[in-house]
Amino acid sequence: MAEEHSHKAAPMVDEVSDYEVLETAVRELAIEKGLFSAEDHRRFAEYAHSLGPLPAARLVAKAWKDPEFKKLALEDGIKASLEVGVDWINDAPTGFGTPSDYTDLRVLEDTPQVKHVVVCTLCSCYPRPILGHSPEWYRTPNYRRRLVRWPRQVLSEFGLQLPADMDIRVEDSNQKCRFLVLPMQPEGTEDWSEEELAQIVTRDCMIGVALPHPDRKADDPRPVHPAVHPVEHHDH
Amino acid sequence: MSTESQQTPSSFTTLERVRSEGRLWADLCDQYGVENPDPPWRLSLEATCEALNAGTCALPTLERRSEEDELATTVYADLPFPERQVLALAHSMMERGLIDEEQLANRMNEVEKRLNSV
Repeated sequence: MAEEHSHKAAPMVDEVSDYEVLETAVRELAIEKGLFSAEDHRRFAEYAHSLGPLPAARLVAKAWKDPEFKKLALEDGIKASLEVGVDWINDAPTGFGTPSDYTDLRVLEDTPQVKHVVVCTLCSCYPRPILGHSPEWYRTPNYRRRLVRWPRQVLSEFGLQLPADMDIRVEDSNQKCRFLVLPMQPEGTEDWSEEELAQIVTRDCMIGVALPHPDRKADDPRPVHPAVHPVEHHDH
Repeated sequence: MSTESQQTPSSFTTLERVRSEGRLWADLCDQYGVENPDPPWRLSLEATCEALNAGTCALPTLERRSEEDELATTVYADLPFPERQVLALAHSMMERGLIDEEQLANRMNEVEKRLNSV
């Protein structure tokens, strides 16, 4: 007799939505009309699946540990990316650069006087080969429009309160140039290994809307805070 | 007055039907107890957008995104991402004559049958 399984399979959505049908239909028609091939699509999809923020976190951690590497990262982000396993030119399915276009990567170094933060005011350009997919809020017209006008206020909405005398520098991405923030290494982490450091460099730290913290790792469970003023006798 | 009656309908009846009747990923997740933030077709959609920008450049990314932004605040304003992205893509492609609506409607019927076949 077969042993009973000790765990259940993860639940799945067992229903085909109209959106899934639409996505498939659009893709199939585009392929049949010769706009791209099924093989092109497969390569782009495989590439999209392989993207994640980890290589960028390693780049930052390596720059904190190794002054020579930091110099290279600030001079030539594309070349520095190679050392953390990302080839912007040849890894991309286009074979001549990133999907969307060939791009340049500029690494922006934060200092005690200057905090960098990245936006794409025109659309949603993002250093995907090294930082993965952009978060949904990065795509919103709200973030794109307001960050350039009121950066200090927008950052405070992310919970990042900066001293009034610290300058905020907003960099606007485009199809030719992408940006990655190199935040300052937090105090108390001087003896950490590169792997340990990489764990505290989260995606948002590299967009510039958060600062790395020794107690907050990229794979931590989402924090749950008790309400400061809980609603009492709430019957609804 | 319901919010639906204030919504500007899509100029494409096929897309309007998806907008008004299609089930959102968030609702499906609730029903089936799934926590994945993205539907299974999300990265395939992304690959389609990239492939349209590459090669023959049938639909450049900047134009597509600009139209998506516009449609996301008007015709498809009541929808979350990535549902509105796929509607905006189909909308932009039909506006350009890259695909036509009758073909799309027919293909959607075929795809629905195929994906639901057992």
